[in-house]
Amino acid sequence: DNPMTVIRFRLSCIGLLNRGQRNISIFSNATPSNLNKVVSDAEKIVGYPTSFMSLRCLLSDELSNVAMHVRKLVGTKHPLLSTARGFIYDSRNNLQMRGLVVLLMSKAAGPSQHTASDLLPQDMVSGIYPSQRNLAEITELIHTAFLVHRGIVNLKEWTNSDGPLKDMQFGNKMSVLSGDFLLANACTGLAQLNNTKVVELISSAIGDLVQGIYHEIPNSLEDNSLTDEINMVTWEEQTFLSHGALLAKSCQAAMELAKHDKDAQGLAYKYGKHLSLGHKLNSDLQLFVKSSSADPETFSFNSAPVVFHRQIVGQERWCHQLQQAKTIGRQMDYTKLRSTIKLEKGVTSTIDLCRYHGNKALESIQCFPSSEARSALENIARAVTKF
Amino acid sequence: MAIPWRHCWRWTTGATSTSVLETICGFNGRSATFAASSFRGTGAVAGSGKEGLSSRPVHTSSIGNYILTSRHKSRLLYPTPKPCCCKRIHSDAKLKDPFTLAQKDLNHLYDDIKKELFVSKSELKSLCDYYFDGKGKAFRPMIVVLMARACNIHSNRDGDLLPGQRSIAMISEMIHTASLVHDDVIDGSDKRRGKTTINEVWGERKAILAGDFILSAASMALARIGNNTVVSVLSQVIEDLVRGEFMQLGSKENESERFKHYLEKTFKKTASLIANSCKAVSILVNSDPEVHEIAFQYGRNVGIAFQLVDDVLDFTACASQLGKPSATDLKLGLATGPVLFACQQFPELHAMIMRRFSTSGDVDRAWQYVLESDGVDQTNYLAQSYCQEAIRQISLLRPSPERDALIRLTEMVLTRDK
Repeated sequence: DNPMTVIRFRLSCIGLLNRGQRNISIFSNATPSNLNKVVSDAEKIVGYPTSFMSLRCLLSDELSNVAMHVRKLVGTKHPLLSTARGFIYDSRNNLQMRGLVVLLMSKAAGPSQHTASDLLPQDMVSGIYPSQRNLAEITELIHTAFLVHRGIVNLKEWTNSDGPLKDMQFGNKMSVLSGDFLLANACTGLAQLNNTKVVELISSAIGDLVQGIYHEIPNSLEDNSLTDEINMVTWEEQTFLSHGALLAKSCQAAMELAKHDKDAQGLAYKYGKHLSLGHKLNSDLQLFVKSSSADPETFSFNSAPVVFHRQIVGQERWCHQLQQAKTIGRQMDYTKLRSTIKLEKGVTSTIDLCRYHGNKALESIQCFPSSEARSALENIARAVTKF
Repeated sequence: MAIPWRHCWRWTTGATSTSVLETICGFNGRSATFAASSFRGTGAVAGSGKEGLSSRPVHTSSIGNYILTSRHKSRLLYPTPKPCCCKRIHSDAKLKDPFTLAQKDLNHLYDDIKKELFVSKSELKSLCDYYFDGKGKAFRPMIVVLMARACNIHSNRDGDLLPGQRSIAMISEMIHTASLVHDDVIDGSDKRRGKTTINEVWGERKAILAGDFILSAASMALARIGNNTVVSVLSQVIEDLVRGEFMQLGSKENESERFKHYLEKTFKKTASLIANSCKAVSILVNSDPEVHEIAFQYGRNVGIAFQLVDDVLDFTACASQLGKPSATDLKLGLATGPVLFACQQFPELHAMIMRRFSTSGDVDRAWQYVLESDGVDQTNYLAQSYCQEAIRQISLLRPSPERDALIRLTEMVLTRDK
């Protein structure tokens, strides 16, 4: 075969595949696909697919070692396996979106007004300084590290149905090590930015992440305990810690790296914060706005629609509704509970809040000069609030 | 076993570096008192046929070479010319106790660390504070503050700590503790320092988060010092700690590779923190890279010695003294110094090492072999050699009570029983 023919054939196949994917996204109502499109368009603006970020780290000896060991986990129920899989291909979660946002923000803010040896115009690639690119990568490293650390299981809660205890122990060991490895690389990467303000800022984001995730861990073996006092104010605070702080502070840090002023830093922070909150609200809403699927999906009583619902109907009515939703075998019927919740205002309140945060994000980014990058960030903010 | 320090090194310029063994034998043929009592012949090391050595051959060639090639070749240096002060004998009484000297700086160390662990949720706070109860040895912060003072005096300043130096003492202890918390999860330990481990009480998930939080707080404190070089130096420690842990996952086939691997792992897991913390405090007060190197090398050598002794204690100490059960290393599948040495006398250990003592009965048999062999003695001897090198390095600094305390400290490392 003529090599050129082969290449053209392969390219056309890829083109077909892509077009096929876009067709699917038009027909489905699911927001994530829309977000996928926005993200993939945005990647071109920053110069390369951001899924290649931290490739260097992933291909390191240590993580290759881990990958080898993780193969032994195949067939077990340790969460590390699904985290690892999800990292390689996951159409639902947007891969490396945080890093992308940091890159777009860097570009949208434009060149530095200061002269410095590490802020030379000739070092900019696609309008982004090397230090900002490194920061984007560091952000992803930290995010991934905590995805991995979140997957550690409490051995005391192990039961026979989880499979051999040895597998859980082994999976834990791999999770701790790989998470630590990613964090260590983030730390050395931060040091290389030669900016102690940024080191302090991002380190504080790590502290925030820990505190946020800590709240996610149920205190008793009985999950979804009824006695949890929670309202939307608390929900927002905790969710900011676990889902917003990292992006907010990274966006701010990107501005600091280019020595942009406090105003720019504040706007970038706001965008990161509100986008993250909007995104989390969107994600919590999926179960409640999608047309019902065959499988009854469980949901957390700490997800936004449920928390709103609990706040609106009050503790007493909520307990009553929980009772009603239990089957004869005292199992929770989540489908029934979901319908109950949809009858009240919990879902619509959440949608309103999501739109609020999306708009706040838009507000902030629109203070930056008009550009391709800014448009991409606007599109992302809008996509996150679409249902 | 006290090692009286009877000599004051004469300061000369342009002196060439000496081998570790020549150091032991003493300058210009004088032999130091400790050499005769504790030295073992290493006939296999090239060019070392000195008097005063026993002629018993010991297979330390590869190891000996490793020490020699990896130590820093430094010129004797001195920032300003100083009159020769040799032949003055320091009595033991004059040597200040390191703990006492460091006391005033370490007084509120743990309280100050707890202040850095600023967290709203009270349960997480108690997890983070758990090991900062003042019951730890505070060995690392002690070295750091003594090194800082010694460097300050060496740099023609008064001894008092700069604020950044004190931070580094705190940061080193925080990084150390964070890594311990994670290690306990990795090893599945239920006891540390006589207390139940965090993972045993609160579960693995919360324990890992607590470790992550302490690390983030250390990182923030580090950034606040405001020195990019110091940030780089200590961030390197964090990476070394993890890499050291990874190194423990694999086993080396080749015997000489195994020892090299063991020493490298020991550096990463234990010595790097001490070495780089010492280096960091020296950077804050002195711009001379030679001084940084002295501080680093002292820390490195003391750190390795410390771990070697620790590995010996795992075999020789009773459970009650350590606060945790012993033969832990074997049970974790790790082959440390005593085992690696014992392997030379009992080749049966090779297979056990390769399968990480996983077959039933391996741990007990290996322990027997080690106690029957001279593995413990050889490891102790090796630790001594590292201490000699540490002493040699630190002696390059201007005399001060703190410098002497650091010398005294190496002896304490060797003689501790827990």
